[in-house]
Amino acid sequence: MSASGRVIAEFRRSPRPIRLLGASGQLGYGIPAASFKGGIERKPDLIGCDMGSIDIGPTYLGKGEMATSPESTRRDLRRVLTAARALDVPLVIGSAGSAGAGPHLDATLAMIRDIARTDGLRFRMAVMRADIPRPALLDAVRTGKVTSFDSMPALTEADVTDAAHIVGQMGMGPFRAALEADVDVVIAGRACDTAIFASLPALLGFPVGLAMHMAKIIECGSLCCVPGGRDPILAELDHDGFTLESMNPERRATPTSVAAHSLYEQSDPFTMQEPDGTLDLTHARYEAVDDRRARVSGGTWRDTSAPTIKLEGATKVGERAVLLCGSADPRFIEQCKSLLPKVADLVQSLVCEDQPLDYTLRFRVYGIDGVRMVAPENEAPPGEVFIMGECIAPSRERASEVVRTCKQFLLHFGYPGRLSTAGNIAFPFTPPEVSLGPAYRFNVYHLLHVDDADALFPVEIETV
Amino acid sequence: MKLSDIAQVIRSKNAGPRRLTLDIMFGSDTDYNRVAQSPALGAENIGRLYRVPADQVTIIPYPVGRAIKIVMPRTIMAGDPGDYDVYGAQQHAPLLGIEI
Repeated sequence: MSASGRVIAEFRRSPRPIRLLGASGQLGYGIPAASFKGGIERKPDLIGCDMGSIDIGPTYLGKGEMATSPESTRRDLRRVLTAARALDVPLVIGSAGSAGAGPHLDATLAMIRDIARTDGLRFRMAVMRADIPRPALLDAVRTGKVTSFDSMPALTEADVTDAAHIVGQMGMGPFRAALEADVDVVIAGRACDTAIFASLPALLGFPVGLAMHMAKIIECGSLCCVPGGRDPILAELDHDGFTLESMNPERRATPTSVAAHSLYEQSDPFTMQEPDGTLDLTHARYEAVDDRRARVSGGTWRDTSAPTIKLEGATKVGERAVLLCGSADPRFIEQCKSLLPKVADLVQSLVCEDQPLDYTLRFRVYGIDGVRMVAPENEAPPGEVFIMGECIAPSRERASEVVRTCKQFLLHFGYPGRLSTAGNIAFPFTPPEVSLGPAYRFNVYHLLHVDDADALFPVEIETV
Repeated sequence: MKLSDIAQVIRSKNAGPRRLTLDIMFGSDTDYNRVAQSPALGAENIGRLYRVPADQVTIIPYPVGRAIKIVMPRTIMAGDPGDYDVYGAQQHAPLLGIEI
């Protein structure tokens, strides 16, 4: 019997509180060894890791590349896989490979198979793909089954066709099906981070509201603690609540710190929408067990009769090249916001002599308004500024041409009162122009209305 | 007194790629109550600071976490060409100097 079958049988035979280890909120950036070892010594019934999110921007999803380095990703996968097999408990990983589309999942699976081969591990693995089939999605667009939220423009058939990858966030159903198929390892493409941890307790009959609330917290590791951090966290769940404990003794889960975590990256701290229902935290209670453990209860769950799948897709907008430079000249700094558009006009007159305007060129002036959504008026000018010019063009060569031309004419651009006639800007290194490869934007961020939230994500079983 | 002198945490982050959420957390119930009742943290004032219409700004008091949450639309979708802060992690700065 495999790990999930063994754990399910054990709990059905003799019910007891269940222990879940949130090993990493971002697998692939390193798991602290000491606290992970501490977590394993507590003999969890499941080890879970979240591996991705939409927060990292559209390019990883579009390009099909991981955000984490292959070396550190492999090291983390090996750590959790080895521990889960030694304990004979399920290892559950969601949003494989940062963005959870086919290439991300395949790269993750290739690493897992390679680790198994190298280390002589054998196990049964469930794999759930999150890519949404295009013909079915086009049908859904035509029949009004796709809706917008957060003021996103309506999804068009062209958006569906243009996107490099489109994934859907799977909920608990596919994870439950995987765990019920008697497996040792579950690897999902794009998934709700909660499903990684809530699915096993839910199928064992623990209250879904508590399991979901617990999952929402432990998917981030020890971020809910003071001081917050990425160490593994252990949750022990029973039928009345759950207790949280960081596996780093310096991190304390306090009632306030855990309650405050419900705010993190959420627009509403009281209700959270999942594909299969709604988590309601209006009556959640947070109590101290001791000075570094918190007990949480009161979260409730409402199943939905109208499931929705959140879709994410990214489309290529061109090739990106950037120019990196700075200035320490007070007169240039004072005028640069009006000078830069003039430089851009000059660049256009040169690179578009015999070609149409087929690119965008933007500047961000760090020190003035490079970072803030809104820069306040009447701020004193800084002593230095960093200027980033960014070009997005149809080809890598065109983007490079634009930023190289820009570099030269920004360096020598004349303006009233100019003293530094040998050059306006400083380069930290040369070449100061960098080609960054293809640029993407999210063109799909919509809700797909379905009859069955699980049908899109069938479970495939593989013996490794 | 400035908000940055009272709060323990003042942070911003995306809540999905189209919305920005700002969390202000306090070390004591006294500090929380004092700020939660101040009109300086009303939708009108926050909307003015971020140049977002007040009716698109949501203020959520969260006493159990001694925190106040502010939610508003991002002016540009995260990661779109022209974005300035893909994670939205540095948009808290305008809150720091609010006089309470």
